Amino acid sequence: MSALGTTSMTDPVAEDRSRTKVPRRRRRPIRLSKVLTSVAIGLVILFPLFPLYWLVISSLKSTHELLQAPPSWFPAHPTISAFKEAFDAVPFAHSFFNSFLYAGTATISVLVTSMMAGYVFSKYHFRGRNVLFWVIVATMFMPPIVTLVPLYWMISRLGLSDSYLGVVLPWLANAFGVFLMRQFIGDLPDELIDAARIDGASELRILWRVVVPLMRPAIVTLGVFSFVYYWNNFLWPLTVLETSSKYPVVLALYQLLSFNMSAQYENVVLAGALVASVPTIIVFLLSQRVFVQGIARVGVKG
Amino acid sequence: MTAGIQSAVSFPSRRRHVGGRGTRRSRRLHEGRWAALLLSPALAIVICFVFAPIALTIWISFHNWSMLTPITQMPWVGLSNYRTIFDDPVFRSSLLDTLIYVGLVVAVTVPLATLIGMLLYFPRNRLRGFARTVLFATYVIPTVAVAIVWGALYEPSYGPLAEMFKAVGLSAPAFLSSPSTALVSLVAFNIWQMLGYYTVLMVAGLTLIPGELYEVASIDGAGIVRQTFAITLPLLRRTTTFVILIALINAVQVFDPVYLLTQGGPINSTDVISYEIQRTAFEYGLAGQASAMSVSLLVVLAAVAAILIGLMRARSR
Repeated sequence: MSALGTTSMTDPVAEDRSRTKVPRRRRRPIRLSKVLTSVAIGLVILFPLFPLYWLVISSLKSTHELLQAPPSWFPAHPTISAFKEAFDAVPFAHSFFNSFLYAGTATISVLVTSMMAGYVFSKYHFRGRNVLFWVIVATMFMPPIVTLVPLYWMISRLGLSDSYLGVVLPWLANAFGVFLMRQFIGDLPDELIDAARIDGASELRILWRVVVPLMRPAIVTLGVFSFVYYWNNFLWPLTVLETSSKYPVVLALYQLLSFNMSAQYENVVLAGALVASVPTIIVFLLSQRVFVQGIARVGVKG
Repeated sequence: MTAGIQSAVSFPSRRRHVGGRGTRRSRRLHEGRWAALLLSPALAIVICFVFAPIALTIWISFHNWSMLTPITQMPWVGLSNYRTIFDDPVFRSSLLDTLIYVGLVVAVTVPLATLIGMLLYFPRNRLRGFARTVLFATYVIPTVAVAIVWGALYEPSYGPLAEMFKAVGLSAPAFLSSPSTALVSLVAFNIWQMLGYYTVLMVAGLTLIPGELYEVASIDGAGIVRQTFAITLPLLRRTTTFVILIALINAVQVFDPVYLLTQGGPINSTDVISYEIQRTAFEYGLAGQASAMSVSLLVVLAAVAAILIGLMRARSR
């Protein structure tokens, strides 16, 4: 984790080191404001970390230790039995496969459809372009619950309820992706694309050979965002699916929670919650530099 | 657009590819075909699974429908669904719960994100990159897992929060199990999950403020507080309005923790609108009324968004 400390959105951290080391050798007294800043940042870090810490230690506790009051702040006898029980109680492993399938398919499709639409909205000129774009973007602000009833009806009418395709079909494109890609592709100079056109490249070739290689930050940002969003989506699979063998991880977790409502299984449920969060956390940690910067960039321009 | 003509002039050797489509008109037609082709997948999905369902929701809201009978046979009831829901004390209390929840989330997260954003942007500190990563990390955790974690933290007899209250000599509140504290307790879930996201947006907004302004201000003898109120906050207004809008839209969607932990209770105290819509449609089989609720929510949100975007435009001028 210490490696993460040195990575940040902006570069001044590198500058920072050289700046702080020199005066320290001269033994200048550490200023109070500096200490206060560090304390404040320390407190800010504790806020997200403490619940995560509690999640980890609770899932490592035995049932007996979990139920003792006052609670222990460090597990006396760490055990992974809660994890074993979680995997025995619900088809967790299979639900991981399902989640990767749902979130993976949706992510790839969102990347492709958004890239193509974003390219058109930023590099083509036609009447009604901006109206069409903003009408699509407006749906970004619509809570999904609003369309849940008709969406469920449509998917059922298509004979797709309780199926993989039924879950994924409405996820194949979204307004946020189109918005993000238009922002990023819009920053590419028009001359670059015109030059490729002059060279006789077809539009698909330009998109694949010119735009895509320059869009890596956008692809990472939208890819991670979509993967996380669809991995974590609970309401839609809950509405569409009935068979537990098709459940994504979050529904398996829900199943685990409802099987084990009594307190003595709390460590099992917490172990499940930890396992369910691991993939998105890993994806985030691997991509965080580019991803956080990308999200910030979309926010600033939006 | 003139690329074809240009190439014919300056790069005669490559004429075989583009030179043939000489006139501007055919060029435009060609471009139009590509535009349609590249747009169609995203557009088809959005039309089928966003626009069509919105239209259907509005249509259904004027009918009586249980979702079990064919949609073509549902009886028209005009505005009666709207009358029923607004006369219903449960729905009205769910509107109030939603308002309180959203209000609290926005009132806490936006100032906090501004403050933390400034803390992580201005002072040079080794911890800030790490702090930003850790803060943002909660955003990627599934809301279902967040609900489970916070459920454990709130545990009244052996949970750590109750223990902290006892340590400072206070009696621990019942958190999720008392109607007076349950809704407020749920607010913490959202703050914990989203604070890092909003902080990152705030930091991004701060980077847009030119540094010279602060240099000039400090030469003029303005301290940190003065600089904050005279430079930072006024110039951060656009970002702040944007974060308010996102926080609001995000908070109004709260469903998972209510569904998992409180089921709207105790005594309907956490019956927020998303949960009420879902339960009305899928548990009570009153899809017409649920759709009327959805349409009402959409109208309110559109109005609020329009006001906020209007403010954002007016202020940025």
